Amino acid sequence: MTEQHVEVGMTLPTLTARITRETLVRYAGASGDLNPIHYSDHAAAALGLPGVVAHGMLTMGTAVRAVTEWFGSAELVSYGVRFTRPVVVPDDGVGAELEVTATITAIGDEGVTFTLDATCAGEKVLGAAKVVVGAGEP
Amino acid sequence: MPITPDHAGKTYAPTAPYEVTRVKIVELAAALGERAAYDVLFPVAPPTFGAVVASPAWDALFTDPELGLQLSRIVHADQQFRYHSPLQPGDVVTATLRIDKVRVRGAVEIISTSVEVHDEADDHVLTATSTFVHTRKVPA
Repeated sequence: MTEQHVEVGMTLPTLTARITRETLVRYAGASGDLNPIHYSDHAAAALGLPGVVAHGMLTMGTAVRAVTEWFGSAELVSYGVRFTRPVVVPDDGVGAELEVTATITAIGDEGVTFTLDATCAGEKVLGAAKVVVGAGEP
Repeated sequence: MPITPDHAGKTYAPTAPYEVTRVKIVELAAALGERAAYDVLFPVAPPTFGAVVASPAWDALFTDPELGLQLSRIVHADQQFRYHSPLQPGDVVTATLRIDKVRVRGAVEIISTSVEVHDEADDHVLTATSTFVHTRKVPA
Protein backbone atom coordinates (compact mmCIF):
# COMPACT_ATOMS: atom_id res chain seq x y z
CA MET A 1 0.00 0.00 0.00
CA THR A 2 2.99 2.26 -0.59
CA GLU A 3 1.11 4.32 -3.15
CA GLN A 4 -1.59 5.49 -0.76
CA HIS A 5 -1.09 8.13 1.87
CA VAL A 6 -1.97 6.64 5.25
CA GLU A 7 -1.64 7.86 8.82
CA VAL A 8 -2.64 6.72 12.29
CA GLY A 9 -6.20 7.72 13.11
CA MET A 10 -7.38 7.49 9.49
CA THR A 11 -10.76 5.74 9.23
CA LEU A 12 -12.07 3.92 6.19
CA PRO A 13 -15.72 4.20 5.11
CA THR A 14 -18.04 2.03 7.23
CA LEU A 15 -18.96 -1.31 5.68
CA THR A 16 -22.55 -2.44 6.13
CA ALA A 17 -23.49 -6.06 5.45
CA ARG A 18 -26.78 -7.83 5.96
CA ILE A 19 -26.65 -11.42 7.18
CA THR A 20 -29.81 -13.48 6.68
CA ARG A 21 -30.55 -17.20 6.92
CA GLU A 22 -29.82 -17.32 3.18
CA THR A 23 -26.35 -15.90 3.87
CA LEU A 24 -25.79 -18.67 6.44
CA VAL A 25 -26.86 -21.41 4.03
CA ARG A 26 -24.62 -20.01 1.32
CA TYR A 27 -21.66 -19.73 3.70
CA ALA A 28 -22.19 -23.22 5.12
CA GLY A 29 -22.05 -24.66 1.60
CA ALA A 30 -19.08 -22.59 0.48
CA SER A 31 -16.99 -23.19 3.60
CA GLY A 32 -18.04 -26.74 4.47
CA ASP A 33 -18.88 -25.66 8.05
CA LEU A 34 -22.04 -27.67 8.65
CA ASN A 35 -22.36 -27.08 12.40
CA PRO A 36 -26.16 -27.15 12.93
CA ILE A 37 -26.10 -24.17 15.34
CA HIS A 38 -25.83 -22.12 12.13
CA TYR A 39 -29.10 -23.37 10.65
CA SER A 40 -31.11 -25.21 13.31
CA ASP A 41 -33.02 -23.38 16.06
CA HIS A 42 -33.18 -26.68 17.93
CA ALA A 43 -29.40 -27.17 17.91
CA ALA A 44 -28.81 -23.53 18.86
CA ALA A 45 -31.22 -23.78 21.80
CA ALA A 46 -29.59 -27.02 22.97
CA LEU A 47 -26.34 -25.10 23.37
CA GLY A 48 -28.07 -22.26 25.24
CA LEU A 49 -27.80 -19.79 22.35
CA PRO A 50 -30.58 -17.22 21.88
CA GLY A 51 -31.15 -18.48 18.33
CA VAL A 52 -29.36 -19.54 15.16
CA VAL A 53 -26.03 -17.68 15.02
CA ALA A 54 -23.76 -16.71 12.16
CA HIS A 55 -20.56 -18.71 11.65
CA GLY A 56 -17.71 -16.88 13.36
CA MET A 57 -15.74 -17.27 10.15
CA LEU A 58 -18.58 -15.63 8.18
CA THR A 59 -18.53 -12.61 10.49
CA MET A 60 -14.73 -12.53 10.37
CA GLY A 61 -14.61 -12.90 6.59
CA THR A 62 -17.25 -10.24 6.04
CA ALA A 63 -15.71 -7.76 8.49
CA VAL A 64 -12.30 -7.79 6.81
CA ARG A 65 -13.90 -6.43 3.63
CA ALA A 66 -13.84 -3.04 5.40
CA VAL A 67 -10.09 -3.16 4.66
CA THR A 68 -9.71 -5.46 1.65
CA GLU A 69 -12.22 -3.58 -0.51
CA TRP A 70 -9.70 -0.71 -0.42
CA PHE A 71 -6.35 -2.46 -0.14
CA GLY A 72 -6.93 -5.96 -1.54
CA SER A 73 -6.06 -9.26 0.15
CA ALA A 74 -2.69 -10.01 -1.43
CA GLU A 75 -0.53 -8.12 1.06
CA LEU A 76 -2.12 -9.18 4.33
CA VAL A 77 0.40 -10.07 7.03
CA SER A 78 -2.08 -11.15 9.70
CA TYR A 79 -5.72 -10.98 10.69
CA GLY A 80 -7.12 -11.97 14.05
CA VAL A 81 -10.36 -11.58 15.99
CA ARG A 82 -12.09 -12.71 19.15
CA PHE A 83 -15.75 -13.64 18.82
CA THR A 84 -17.05 -11.67 21.80
CA ARG A 85 -20.79 -11.94 21.15
CA PRO A 86 -22.73 -14.23 18.81
CA VAL A 87 -24.41 -12.66 15.79
CA VAL A 88 -27.97 -13.95 16.12
CA VAL A 89 -29.71 -14.30 12.75
CA PRO A 90 -33.50 -14.52 13.12
CA ASP A 91 -35.60 -16.18 10.41
CA ASP A 92 -37.68 -13.05 9.83
CA GLY A 93 -36.57 -12.05 6.34
CA VAL A 94 -34.53 -9.22 7.83
CA GLY A 95 -31.70 -11.01 9.62
CA ALA A 96 -28.86 -9.07 11.20
CA GLU A 97 -26.91 -6.06 10.06
CA LEU A 98 -23.16 -5.97 10.58
CA GLU A 99 -21.44 -2.56 10.66
CA VAL A 100 -17.67 -2.45 10.44
CA THR A 101 -15.35 0.52 10.66
CA ALA A 102 -11.60 0.13 10.18
CA THR A 103 -9.23 2.64 11.77
CA ILE A 104 -5.45 2.75 11.36
CA THR A 105 -4.01 2.27 14.85
CA ALA A 106 -0.34 1.66 14.06
CA ILE A 107 2.17 1.94 11.23
CA GLY A 108 5.34 -0.08 11.72
CA ASP A 109 7.93 -2.31 10.10
CA GLU A 110 5.39 -5.10 9.51
CA GLY A 111 2.92 -2.79 7.82
CA VAL A 112 -0.19 -0.83 8.61
CA THR A 113 -2.45 -2.08 11.44
CA PHE A 114 -6.17 -1.54 11.08
CA THR A 115 -8.37 -2.10 14.13
CA LEU A 116 -11.91 -3.15 13.25
CA ASP A 117 -14.93 -1.97 15.17
CA ALA A 118 -17.66 -4.49 14.30
CA THR A 119 -21.14 -4.12 15.72
CA CYS A 120 -24.56 -5.69 15.31
CA ALA A 121 -27.58 -3.73 16.61
CA GLY A 122 -25.14 -1.47 18.46
CA GLU A 123 -23.39 -4.36 20.26
CA LYS A 124 -19.73 -5.15 19.65
CA VAL A 125 -19.41 -8.63 18.10
CA LEU A 126 -15.64 -8.80 17.53
CA GLY A 127 -12.86 -8.03 20.01
CA ALA A 128 -9.18 -7.39 19.40
CA ALA A 129 -9.93 -7.40 15.67
CA LYS A 130 -6.76 -6.38 13.89
CA VAL A 131 -5.69 -6.57 10.26
CA VAL A 132 -2.07 -5.92 9.30
CA VAL A 133 -1.45 -4.98 5.68
CA GLY A 134 2.16 -5.17 4.55
CA ALA A 135 3.99 -2.77 2.32
CA GLY A 136 4.18 -5.32 -0.50
CA GLU A 137 7.12 -6.01 -2.82
CA PRO A 138 9.52 -3.09 -3.21
CA MET B 1 -13.18 -40.69 26.74
CA PRO B 2 -13.13 -36.91 27.08
CA ILE B 3 -10.47 -34.44 26.04
CA THR B 4 -8.00 -33.55 28.80
CA PRO B 5 -5.13 -31.07 29.24
CA ASP B 6 -2.81 -34.01 28.50
CA HIS B 7 -3.91 -33.89 24.86
CA ALA B 8 -1.81 -30.72 24.41
CA GLY B 9 0.94 -31.54 21.94
CA LYS B 10 -1.08 -34.05 19.97
CA THR B 11 -0.41 -33.53 16.27
CA TYR B 12 -2.50 -34.90 13.42
CA ALA B 13 -1.29 -36.21 10.08
CA PRO B 14 -1.29 -33.61 7.28
CA THR B 15 -4.59 -33.42 5.40
CA ALA B 16 -4.86 -34.75 1.86
CA PRO B 17 -3.48 -32.23 -0.68
CA TYR B 18 -6.09 -29.56 -1.43
CA GLU B 19 -6.05 -27.65 -4.71
CA VAL B 20 -7.19 -24.05 -4.52
CA THR B 21 -9.39 -23.26 -7.53
CA ARG B 22 -10.75 -20.03 -8.94
CA VAL B 23 -14.28 -21.45 -8.74
CA LYS B 24 -13.96 -22.11 -5.00
CA ILE B 25 -12.43 -18.67 -4.41
CA VAL B 26 -15.34 -17.01 -6.22
CA GLU B 27 -17.84 -19.20 -4.32
CA LEU B 28 -16.41 -18.20 -0.93
CA ALA B 29 -16.03 -14.55 -1.96
CA ALA B 30 -19.70 -14.51 -3.01
CA ALA B 31 -20.72 -16.10 0.30
CA LEU B 32 -18.85 -13.30 2.07
CA GLY B 33 -20.62 -10.66 -0.01
CA GLU B 34 -17.58 -9.62 -1.98
CA ARG B 35 -18.21 -7.86 -5.26
CA ALA B 36 -17.87 -10.10 -8.29
CA ALA B 37 -15.32 -7.85 -9.95
CA TYR B 38 -13.06 -8.12 -6.96
CA ASP B 39 -11.69 -11.52 -7.92
CA VAL B 40 -10.77 -10.23 -11.36
CA LEU B 41 -8.88 -7.28 -9.92
CA PHE B 42 -7.14 -9.23 -7.18
CA PRO B 43 -6.94 -12.89 -8.20
CA VAL B 44 -6.11 -14.17 -4.71
CA ALA B 45 -8.29 -15.90 -2.15
CA PRO B 46 -10.14 -13.88 0.52
CA PRO B 47 -8.20 -13.71 3.83
CA THR B 48 -10.47 -16.24 5.52
CA PHE B 49 -10.07 -18.80 2.73
CA GLY B 50 -7.55 -20.23 5.19
CA ALA B 51 -10.58 -21.64 7.02
CA VAL B 52 -11.56 -23.67 3.94
CA VAL B 53 -8.07 -25.14 3.81
CA ALA B 54 -7.94 -25.71 7.58
CA SER B 55 -11.43 -27.18 7.70
CA PRO B 56 -10.47 -30.86 7.05
CA ALA B 57 -7.86 -30.53 9.81
CA TRP B 58 -10.46 -29.07 12.18
CA ASP B 59 -12.86 -31.87 11.20
CA ALA B 60 -10.22 -34.47 12.12
CA LEU B 61 -10.04 -32.87 15.57
CA PHE B 62 -13.81 -32.62 16.00
CA THR B 63 -14.33 -36.26 15.01
CA ASP B 64 -11.33 -37.75 16.86
CA PRO B 65 -12.94 -40.54 18.92
CA GLU B 66 -10.27 -40.10 21.57
CA LEU B 67 -11.57 -36.61 22.41
CA GLY B 68 -15.32 -37.24 22.50
CA LEU B 69 -16.26 -33.90 20.90
CA GLN B 70 -19.62 -33.13 19.32
CA LEU B 71 -19.68 -30.59 16.47
CA SER B 72 -23.06 -29.14 17.46
CA ARG B 73 -21.64 -28.26 20.89
CA ILE B 74 -18.60 -26.34 19.62
CA VAL B 75 -18.33 -22.58 19.18
CA HIS B 76 -15.41 -20.61 17.82
CA ALA B 77 -13.95 -18.25 20.44
CA ASP B 78 -11.11 -16.66 18.54
CA GLN B 79 -9.24 -16.97 15.26
CA GLN B 80 -5.93 -15.65 14.03
CA PHE B 81 -4.28 -16.01 10.63
CA ARG B 82 -0.65 -15.21 9.89
CA TYR B 83 0.04 -15.12 6.18
CA HIS B 84 3.29 -15.89 4.46
CA SER B 85 1.82 -15.71 0.98
CA PRO B 86 -1.75 -15.32 -0.31
CA LEU B 87 -3.57 -18.44 -1.52
CA GLN B 88 -4.05 -18.41 -5.28
CA PRO B 89 -5.69 -20.65 -7.87
CA GLY B 90 -3.48 -23.66 -8.57
CA ASP B 91 -1.91 -23.78 -5.11
CA VAL B 92 -1.89 -27.31 -3.69
CA VAL B 93 -1.66 -27.26 0.08
CA THR B 94 -1.85 -29.47 3.14
CA ALA B 95 -2.90 -28.53 6.68
CA THR B 96 -1.34 -29.96 9.83
CA LEU B 97 -3.11 -29.46 13.15
CA ARG B 98 -1.56 -29.46 16.59
CA ILE B 99 -3.45 -29.18 19.87
CA ASP B 100 -1.60 -26.42 21.72
CA LYS B 101 -3.54 -26.27 24.97
CA VAL B 102 -6.65 -27.71 26.61
CA ARG B 103 -8.38 -26.18 29.62
CA VAL B 104 -11.32 -27.90 31.29
CA ARG B 105 -13.75 -25.95 33.49
CA GLY B 106 -16.54 -28.29 34.52
CA ALA B 107 -18.49 -29.17 31.37
CA VAL B 108 -16.63 -26.55 29.32
CA GLU B 109 -13.54 -27.54 27.36
CA ILE B 110 -11.42 -24.78 25.86
CA ILE B 111 -9.22 -26.09 23.04
CA SER B 112 -6.42 -24.05 21.48
CA THR B 113 -5.05 -25.32 18.18
CA SER B 114 -2.72 -24.23 15.43
CA VAL B 115 -2.88 -25.35 11.82
CA GLU B 116 0.20 -24.96 9.65
CA VAL B 117 -0.50 -24.79 5.93
CA HIS B 118 2.27 -25.69 3.50
CA ASP B 119 2.42 -25.86 -0.28
CA GLU B 120 3.76 -28.68 -2.46
CA ALA B 121 7.32 -27.39 -2.13
CA ASP B 122 6.80 -27.55 1.67
CA ASP B 123 6.97 -23.74 1.83
CA HIS B 124 4.94 -22.19 4.62
CA VAL B 125 1.76 -20.51 3.37
CA LEU B 126 -0.11 -19.54 6.53
CA THR B 127 -0.76 -20.41 10.15
CA ALA B 128 -4.32 -20.53 11.51
CA THR B 129 -4.52 -20.33 15.30
CA SER B 130 -7.91 -20.99 16.88
CA THR B 131 -9.67 -21.36 20.19
CA PHE B 132 -12.75 -23.59 20.23
CA VAL B 133 -15.11 -23.97 23.17
CA HIS B 134 -16.83 -27.32 23.52
CA THR B 135 -19.62 -27.60 26.08
CA ARG B 136 -20.00 -31.21 27.09
CA LYS B 137 -23.55 -32.44 27.41
CA VAL B 138 -24.26 -33.11 31.08
CA PRO B 139 -26.71 -35.99 31.63
CA ALA B 140 -29.94 -34.71 33.18
